[in-house]
Amino acid sequence: METKRHHTPPKWADRFLEFYCNPKKLEQIQGDAYEIFYMNLEEKGLSFAKFRFWIHVLSFFRWSNIKRTKTNYYSSTTTAMFKNYLKIGWRNLLKQKSTTFISVFGLACAIACCLVAYLFIEGIWMKGMLQPNKNEIYQLTYTVEEADGKVTYGTVAEPISELLQGEFPEIKAHTRIKNGFPILVYQNESYNQRVIYVDPDYMDMFSYKMHHGYPEALNEPNQVILTYELSEKLFGETHPIGQEITLVRNGEEGFYKVGGVLEKLNDLDMFNFDMLVNFSNIEEINPAVSLKESWDSGVWTFIQLDQNTSLGELQGGFEKIRESQNQINPERPYLRLELVPYTDLVYKIGEIKQGVRDFLGIGPQILLGAIGLFVLILAVFNYINISILMASKRLKEIGIRKVIGSRRSQLILQFLSENMIVCSLAILVGCLLAVFILVPGFNQIASKSLKMDFFNDPYIWLFLIGLAGFITLASGFYPALFVSGFKPVAILKGNQKLGGKSILTTILLTFQFTLAIISIVASIAFIQTNYLNENRDWGYDNTDKIIVNIPDSTGYNTLVDRLSAVGSVQEVSGSHHYVGNWLDESEVIFQDQKVEVDLLRAEANYPELLGLRLKNGRFLDQASATDLSENILVNERFMADLGLTFPIEEKVYLDSMPYQVVGVVEDFHTEFFQRPMIPTVIRATDDNSYSFLTLKMSSGSAMSSMELVKESWRESFPKGLFEGKLQENVFELALRDVRGVQKILLFSAILAVLLSAMGLYGLVSLNMNSRIKDFCVRKVFGAETGDLSGKLFKRYLISWGIAALVGGGLAIVLVSAFLNSFFAYHSGVGVLPLGFSILGLLFVIGLTVGSQLWKVIKANPSDILKAE
Amino acid sequence: MKGYHLGELEELILLTVGVLGKEAYGVSVLEEIKNQTGRKVNISAIHTVLNRLEEKGFLESKMGGATEERGGRRKRLFNISAHGRTAITEIRSLRNKLYDQIPPLALDFSYGN
Repeated sequence: METKRHHTPPKWADRFLEFYCNPKKLEQIQGDAYEIFYMNLEEKGLSFAKFRFWIHVLSFFRWSNIKRTKTNYYSSTTTAMFKNYLKIGWRNLLKQKSTTFISVFGLACAIACCLVAYLFIEGIWMKGMLQPNKNEIYQLTYTVEEADGKVTYGTVAEPISELLQGEFPEIKAHTRIKNGFPILVYQNESYNQRVIYVDPDYMDMFSYKMHHGYPEALNEPNQVILTYELSEKLFGETHPIGQEITLVRNGEEGFYKVGGVLEKLNDLDMFNFDMLVNFSNIEEINPAVSLKESWDSGVWTFIQLDQNTSLGELQGGFEKIRESQNQINPERPYLRLELVPYTDLVYKIGEIKQGVRDFLGIGPQILLGAIGLFVLILAVFNYINISILMASKRLKEIGIRKVIGSRRSQLILQFLSENMIVCSLAILVGCLLAVFILVPGFNQIASKSLKMDFFNDPYIWLFLIGLAGFITLASGFYPALFVSGFKPVAILKGNQKLGGKSILTTILLTFQFTLAIISIVASIAFIQTNYLNENRDWGYDNTDKIIVNIPDSTGYNTLVDRLSAVGSVQEVSGSHHYVGNWLDESEVIFQDQKVEVDLLRAEANYPELLGLRLKNGRFLDQASATDLSENILVNERFMADLGLTFPIEEKVYLDSMPYQVVGVVEDFHTEFFQRPMIPTVIRATDDNSYSFLTLKMSSGSAMSSMELVKESWRESFPKGLFEGKLQENVFELALRDVRGVQKILLFSAILAVLLSAMGLYGLVSLNMNSRIKDFCVRKVFGAETGDLSGKLFKRYLISWGIAALVGGGLAIVLVSAFLNSFFAYHSGVGVLPLGFSILGLLFVIGLTVGSQLWKVIKANPSDILKAE
Repeated sequence: MKGYHLGELEELILLTVGVLGKEAYGVSVLEEIKNQTGRKVNISAIHTVLNRLEEKGFLESKMGGATEERGGRRKRLFNISAHGRTAITEIRSLRNKLYDQIPPLALDFSYGN
């Protein structure tokens, strides 16, 4: 035995064994290994024993003996605990159905709102991101020096695209893309549709799902591909493939066959169109264009590169093309010819002029985002409040858990896992709400086509997971931290009081009330403004007038004759623009003052026909030569801005021509009320190149004569697209937008009130449950109802008071800013919205608290006090 | 259950554990097999099989019997469970049954008539 003490098994092997071996098995394995080591030592000597020990250690290195990672090793208990947490959480939720409902419903509403906001914003910022080839596609842009510095354009000269394909083998595909608005004629009906002209490669570069036909249809120049919507509209039930349609472009007809129909387009698609047409069709129309002209006209050009192409080299190669371009067109030399990655296009909206996208619409994004955030905050606060109160009922459980040895982190985990249940439920319900109610509703209001595309859109999953994580942490972390921090002794002795009196609860409640007030004020002020604007005097008589378009000035005179012959037409007048749409902008110089003005050029009888009200002077007369060449009318704003009084002796200069102001008309709204009144000049012309014709109809006949007018119009322009409208409907589009915003605001205000009321209800009812004995004892001793209710109301009244002050103040600032950004004319935040929101909230609070108070008043003290 | 599926080594070790009675653990099983059959089995293979047999319920085990050679570490002592006992009996009778059915060799004259 002596030898044994002097020799030990090889240290490293032993350590290695201890390192890898599962601790449960280490003892027996190591023991056996030692035993064999000493046996070998006696029989065969030290080195053999050491060698065998190594062999044994290595042979024990088997899957079944190896230690797993720590969590996995303890996993049996952790998962069991986690299951237990979930089970307890689930039971707790079921026990408190009304509060659970409040939490889940509130969070679900918030999630649904956030989803709509997200989809809307995604639709703007994620354009084109679903294209599989997005990383290989680039747009060509060029930069030129202009008066105000370097400007980058998205439309490069047409021939460049073809040069590229030949010169650079690494360019796999290329396409030119040009927008067009030809008139589509099908079965004698004309439609105005958005067309993009593309090269056949387009269908390879950008992938679209086909509903009918196949993408190669575009290889045939006379075939077109329609969107699903257009195909529905034109052909309905009939099979669209092979149907014949006509496109009228610049007065020339082209005949096409439908070669394919795309699936419904997504809001995430980069290009908006109703129809794809082969680009060669617009080349052939004018074969005689000179070289220079073709280099002058610009189109969007996209190329697709091989994956491994070095951009630097390619850019270098572009130099040659740039030079040849500059030789042909030396007046506008390209400084740079550059490739912009397809994925960057959205982010470069401001930088590329005439790019694919040049409008971001930040305002609606902020509005929707803010609403989503508001509702989310309200719901999360509800949930925090309720979960703190709920936890107060479980103090004993927490205390016992702690005494038994549960660590704080485990308690936090427990609460968070319960939160997770609520959040998952809420996400589920929220998605359902969004898919079936909010998204369709929003699409209708905003005429968008948002879609929750769970199968094709990976970003929405990211968003949902992020949202779930955020809500779980935001709403659950504080309660979990708060509750798990108690001392078990205090809890079990019953000293730990926790309840509705926590300051945090009050603060959160006040904050909710504040948000509710702001959103009510916003919606009421908006409704008030809308009401005022819809009844606003437009500055002229908008009834009994029809505006028709004139596609081609050559037919003007016959059109006038034909329309004048229609019985109910009393008078006609041509104009270059019409009041109710945008006018030309121009500049007037008077003495040394310069004013930006709107310029309305029309026949001399237009102002009178429209019913503009004369303030001073006289209207113009078509028969008078001087009225046509030297005299103008102006509006009141013009006079006010220049500080003039009628009559004006001196001439005003318009386009450096002198004019005499012969009349002043009252201000009238040429554009919607988003725009303030602009100084306006009305000048009479007689060049017959008018774009619009305004018809004054006999009283009350405008609507009914529309068909007659259309027929006469068709006789003059059989291929044209009739765009007649009533003068009183010119603001219809803008009004619809505004009404949509109004609906959204109203919805969010109702939601905000509902959520805060529900939160309050949960809070009061939980509070009441824990204090009902208190109240009953008071009742037994003869407390008055008023006394009891006073006690209960006081806290909430204080919250309401603070919210009224803070919310009212904030609302005045925020809502005014919001209205200012929306309208030039609005009601402002007056007494009505403020008073209504503050009193309305008080009413809701009273109702909520009162309903709970009713319980106390009706309660029979003996029942409740006997219960335990 | 349709019989007891035991591998050759499993059966050997199960039997050895039975032979050793209360002193069956990794090294003793190894030694016993070496002595009885002259076969050298790797210690890790024995451990694996012992564990597997325990999982299958043929063996029971407890910790005990620390010695100095083991650096004071306990052994895991294995013992045949009732289930294990039925298993070896079953296997044995199955073997015997099969053996008895083997036809006698042709040169066995006792069947000569």
